[in-house]
This record gives sequence, structure tokens and C-alpha cells, in this order.
Amino acid sequence: MPNKLNQTQTPGNVSQPLNLKKDGGDIKRKKVRNPHSLHPVMNSIVSIFLGVFTFMCVFPFLYVIIISFTSEESIVRNGFQIIPSEWSMDAYNYLWGVKEQLLGSYGITIIVTVVGTVISVLMISFYAYAISRPQFKYRRFFTMLAFFTMLFSGGLVPTYIVVTQFLGLKNTIWALILPLVMNAFYIIIMRTFFMKSVSESILESARIDGASEWRIFFQIVFPLSLPGIATIALFSTLGYWNDWFTALLYIDNPKLVPLQALLMKIEANLEFMRQNVEVGLMQQSLFDTLPQESAKMAMVVIATLPIAVSYPFFQKYFISGLTIGGVKE
Amino acid sequence: MKKRFTILLALLLSIGTILAACSSKEGSSSEKDGKDGKPYEIKWYTIGTPQKDTDKVFEEVNKYLKEEINATVKMTQIDWGDWDQKSQVMINSGEAMDIIFTNGSKYVQNAQKGAFVALDEMLEKEGKELKDALDPALLEGVKIDGSIYGIPANKEAARQTVYTFNKRLVDKYGFDVSTVKTLEDLEPMLKVIKENESGVTPMATFKAYLPYDYIFNNEMPFAFPFEGGNDQVINQFESDLTMQTYKTMHSYYKAGYLKEDAATSKDSWPMDVENWFVRMGDSQPYADLLWSRSAKYDVVSVPAEQPVTINDSVSGSIQAISATSKNPKKAMEFLNLLNTDPYLRNLVDKGLEGVHYEKNADGMITDLPARIESYNIPTYSIGNFFTLYLYETDPTDKWEQFKLFNDSASAAPTLGFHFNNAPVRSEIAAITNISKEFYPALATGSVDPEEYLPKYNKKLKEAGIDKVLEEIQKQYDEWKKEQ
Repeated sequence: MPNKLNQTQTPGNVSQPLNLKKDGGDIKRKKVRNPHSLHPVMNSIVSIFLGVFTFMCVFPFLYVIIISFTSEESIVRNGFQIIPSEWSMDAYNYLWGVKEQLLGSYGITIIVTVVGTVISVLMISFYAYAISRPQFKYRRFFTMLAFFTMLFSGGLVPTYIVVTQFLGLKNTIWALILPLVMNAFYIIIMRTFFMKSVSESILESARIDGASEWRIFFQIVFPLSLPGIATIALFSTLGYWNDWFTALLYIDNPKLVPLQALLMKIEANLEFMRQNVEVGLMQQSLFDTLPQESAKMAMVVIATLPIAVSYPFFQKYFISGLTIGGVKE
Repeated sequence: MKKRFTILLALLLSIGTILAACSSKEGSSSEKDGKDGKPYEIKWYTIGTPQKDTDKVFEEVNKYLKEEINATVKMTQIDWGDWDQKSQVMINSGEAMDIIFTNGSKYVQNAQKGAFVALDEMLEKEGKELKDALDPALLEGVKIDGSIYGIPANKEAARQTVYTFNKRLVDKYGFDVSTVKTLEDLEPMLKVIKENESGVTPMATFKAYLPYDYIFNNEMPFAFPFEGGNDQVINQFESDLTMQTYKTMHSYYKAGYLKEDAATSKDSWPMDVENWFVRMGDSQPYADLLWSRSAKYDVVSVPAEQPVTINDSVSGSIQAISATSKNPKKAMEFLNLLNTDPYLRNLVDKGLEGVHYEKNADGMITDLPARIESYNIPTYSIGNFFTLYLYETDPTDKWEQFKLFNDSASAAPTLGFHFNNAPVRSEIAAITNISKEFYPALATGSVDPEEYLPKYNKKLKEAGIDKVLEEIQKQYDEWKKEQ
């Protein structure tokens, strides 16, 4: 790795590293050290720091996985342990038992995430593109309009009234998608991005060549702005995947409950049970169906894993998109 | 280019118009229902996890209701944990619905806000039988400013706090639990358990019991003493009794009878894990039987107080008619039937005979697996207990015992009094925060009351407790005069 860096970044010393390989002399190499690379001591300090930091980020998730494989008995007796006194697959057996609900919720989450992200990205970039164009007469008004909603919002109850009574979305899948489609903050980001990265002269030349507005947007502006679009697409994918609150408000039908809302429900039910012990004691069967601590963790694992696993793949495009944006001009 | 945009704009506008047209049509059609001939659909929101077989059961329910009162019911259950937030949003947004479950302070607040229909008149006409069936103490307890705004479930109307013991350990060491009257009486037993049973925590974390009738709840410093016929509201944390009790609790804590994290722990001490010796809970007739069954080992209880009817115990489960109901009378007719007609009550609660339960020759029932799996309805939230079929494992005099229990209870000083906190809202907010800080630590004995009780009271004084006590007293006296 350091050799490679030497070769690419300091063209003046091309012959040196080749010699080094033959001699294998480390002392010489120190003298011709690349001035841009880190000092070895510093390098190891940084590496250790980053290593510890990474471990701290990953550890809670590993812990969750371990707990999900712990037997319930051992959790009650000893609490959470890093190496449990008794392992068990019960939690995953439980999840297998409720696979219908789980798969259904998975389906809903995936549909909502995919459809939602596509609509969201289109709507946000349409709006942002329009207000980024100097030819658009009312762009100040519409910018203010979007900006205004960032400072003041209608609040929970009016939003609920609009969605359920005015739009009639209650208990439909659109109730999970539409409320999150527009986001004023992303609009402002995209507007700035369009203004910075798409110069007026490109658009003008396209216009001279006779391209329509649609064609200009989809064939010129869109490809040029991919890094920005990738960013808001990623944000809104995460937003849709992790959203549970809209489901709490607008969905009564158990068949339309997305995965994260299902998790939240279980958590909230357990909390309810804690606070209202007497209800549970009088009719034990009501809460017998609730999962135990380990099963909860197992649900977290299966709800997080898909997005965690697929993230590195997205990340590749995401980063390359960003670099293109950085290198340009 | 311009043309295309114009077309798009026109398209968008027309979609909007179509959507608007759709929604308005829906509104008008539901209003028409029930006026002439057509059965009215009653929208009913209640608590509990949504069940798979709800539609199946309600098909049967609706068949019956169409004949009886020319109505149908659409029951929607909202999950336990979602209930508070969701029902509040629905009420605040004025969503069209007929019947909604409510309880405790939520009931009081929403009734004061005008979210529910006052039922007094309807209880004389449509709900006559219902009124006769209900325990009068229950109706007294749900009155707000003289009117009834919801139908309480006719069940145990009183509260009785008990100490519950693990019977195996009681027998093993030959304890005589019947001598236990107060917290102090537990001491010798706890000591033995602590010394001899290593895997057992002597006390499953609980907050020390104090004999007061609370205006809000046990952690707020506003209460009437149960005994002495006192009409004076006090701060119970200033009394000698409280100091005495908390001192005892603190000595138990120091002796290691409670878990160290007692003040902050959220552990619910599930019954089926046998790692405790004594706990505290609210009882009802044959509670030991129920608890033993769910614990799968025997437990035995001794009362810590005489049964007493308080606001909380009567408002634990209420079905109210929403102010947004288009046909409150029909809703009342349904509630009347639900609480007085054994067939309907059991159908809604237990499901279909032969599918969800089986009946034997004596008229007693057993749950089939389908009832637990796909029609598990919370009995307490629906209504009248006294018309329910008994389970084969139930004692035959179960409901008689419930009646006796209710009759034996004495009424608390504040039964039917609901404090309106509007004039002192900011003081109460401050006091709530202070109480959240001190109460759990004091009531579990985690801190020394000699030091912390005076501190607590001093902070309460600074937060304006005197003003709140005065306001409570004023409202209470006014209410008392009207009685």
C-alpha cells in the first residue's frame, strides 16, 4: 500500500521504490518517505483510534445479535451477558412462528421504500429544479413557500385531518408514502445543487439545439446532478425504511403495518404491560403472545440486517457519484 | 413547451377535483344511512391487539344486531401501546366515530373538553336496562360536573391492595401470613428468606403502600386520608405516617431485601419466574386463583387495606360515545344491548361457539386454541362482567363474590370529584417534575427519608404546592356542597 502511494503520488521517485524492493532496506525507505503520508507513529495512533471507534459503533449491534441468541431464562436470571450462560434459538423459532405477519410487513416496507423513494426523488427534484431556474418568474415565492414549512409546521392534528378526512388516505398504502414525499430541507439542498452544478450555458446550448424542457431535465440536468440526487435518494430510502410514526397514525389494518412499526408496536405493548400489570395478571393469555426480550432483539436483527447488508453496495455508487461531483470543473 | 405545461396543470387540477368529489360523496352517503330502513353502521374503536377473526365474529354480531336494533357494528382495535397517542389524535381531529374506549384521567380530560356526549338523558330511555344493571358506585364515579360521559365496565368497582406471597416459601418456613397487617410485620419473614434463599429476592420491587386517597396518583403530593372522615386535602409527604413507612422501607433496602436498582428499575417481575417472596398488587375476588394459574405455582395474598371505591378503580375501563357520532342514540342502544344481553356480550368477548370455545352441559365453557390465537379479546375493556359465561376452572360463585366485594367496599372521600387543573397548570407541571425525581427513590427505600423527605417538601413549597392545595380545597368544597 505505501509503495503504491509512492508510485502514484510522487512521480519524481519512480526508480527508488523499485530498488527498495530488491534491497528490502527499510532504513533507506524512511529517508525517501512520501511527504504526504502519515508518520508511522501517527499512523498507528490514528488507526487505533479509528479501530476503537469502529468497534464502538459495531459493538451494540453485535451485542443485540448475541442477546437474540440468549435463552430467556438466562436473561431473567442474569440480565444481558456478553457470553450468555445459556444459548438458544427460541427467539428465531418464535419469529418463524409469526412469519406470515413478518413477511407481510417486509413486503409493505419494501414497496413503500421503493415506490416512496422514486416518487420522492422525482417530486423533490422537479420542485427544486423549477425554483433554481432564473427564468421562472415566481421562484422567490415558491422558495419562500418551501422554506416557510421548515420553520412552521401545521402540527400533528391538522396533518392528521388533512390526510384522513381531506385526502381519505387512512388505511391505504399511500398514507405511508405521500406524507413523506416532500421534504423542504432536501428541496433547498437540491436547489443549491442545481444552481451550482448545472450552468446556464449548458441549458442554453441545449435549447438552441431544440431540446424541450422535459428533455433538458431528464437528459442533461438529471445526469449532471446524479451525486445530489443519490444523496437525497439515500436519505429518503432510510427515511422510508425506518418510518413507523405514519403507520402508527394512519394504519389500523394489521396487513398494512410496515416492519419498523411492527417493532415499535411490540415495544410499546411491552411498555404498556409494565405500566398496567394488573390488566395482564387478570387475563394472562392477552400477553402470552407478546415476544420475550430475546425475540425483540431477533426482530431488530432481521429488520436492520437487510439495509445494513445492502448499504455497502449503494455506498459504492454513492461515493463514486460524489467524487464525480467533486472532480467536475 | 408551454402547451405541455398547461396540459399538465389542467390534469393535476382535474385529479384534485375528482378526489374532492369522491370524498364528499362518501360523507353524504354515510349520513343517509340509518335514517330509513337501512341499518346504521356504528364505528367502534377499542383497545387491544387487532385479531384475525374479528370480521368472522362480527358477521354474526351484525346479523343479530340488524334484527334487534337495525344497526351494524364495525369494531376496530388499536394496539395496547399505540392506544394513548392514536386515540388522542383521533379525538382531537374530530374523526367521525361512535363509540370509543377510554379510561382514567384521559376520560376526565376529554369529557371536560367536550369530546364525549353526556349520557344522562339517554340512560333514562335507550339505556334504561343498562343503568339498572350497573353498580351505582360505578356511575357515581364517572360523573363529571354532574353528568355521565361514559359507560364503565360493570366489574369490580373497588380497589384492594394486597401483599402477595410465594406459597411454597411460606409453607417451607411455616410463616403465618395472616398476621401481616402492615409493612413492619414483614420484617421477620424477609430476614429468614434473605438468609436462607440465595436465588430469591425477598421483595419484588414495589412502592410502599400509604393509606391515602390521591387526587392525581400516588406520587403527587395531594391526598385525602382514608380514615378520620377528613375533608381536608393534605400533602401526604408531610405526615408522620409517611416518614415512618419510608423509614421502614429504607431499613429493608439497606438490609438488601430489595434489588439495588429498585428506584429506577422497570422490571415487571413476571409471575411465572419464581424469584421473589413478597410483592404488592391490586386484588379482586379469587385473584389468588388467577395468579396461581398464570404463575404455575401457588401464591397467597393478605389484604393491606379494606376494599375502597376510588375514582381510578371505577374508571379503569369506559366506553364513551363520541361527540362526533352521527347517531348517538343507536350507539347507546348498542351499548345497552352489549351490557345486558348475555348472548351478544359473550359473542363479542368469547367468539363463536364451537370455533372459539366449547360449552359443556352445565353451561360452563372452555377456550379452544382458536380463541387464544385469533380472537383474544381483552374482557375488561368491553363491558359487563356479570353476564359472562364461566370457565370450567372458575369457581361457580365467582360473580356473586364480585358483587359481595363491591358491596363491602367503602367510598373514598373524592369518589366522583374530578379536579380541574387549569388554574394551577404551571405549578402542577413543576411539582410533577419534582415528584418524579424524589418519589421513586423514597417509596422504594433507596434513600434516607430523614434527609430526603424534608428536602422534597422544601422543593414542593418553592414550586407553589400551597397554591395548588388551596385550589383543590376550594373546588372540593364547592363540589361537596352540590352533593
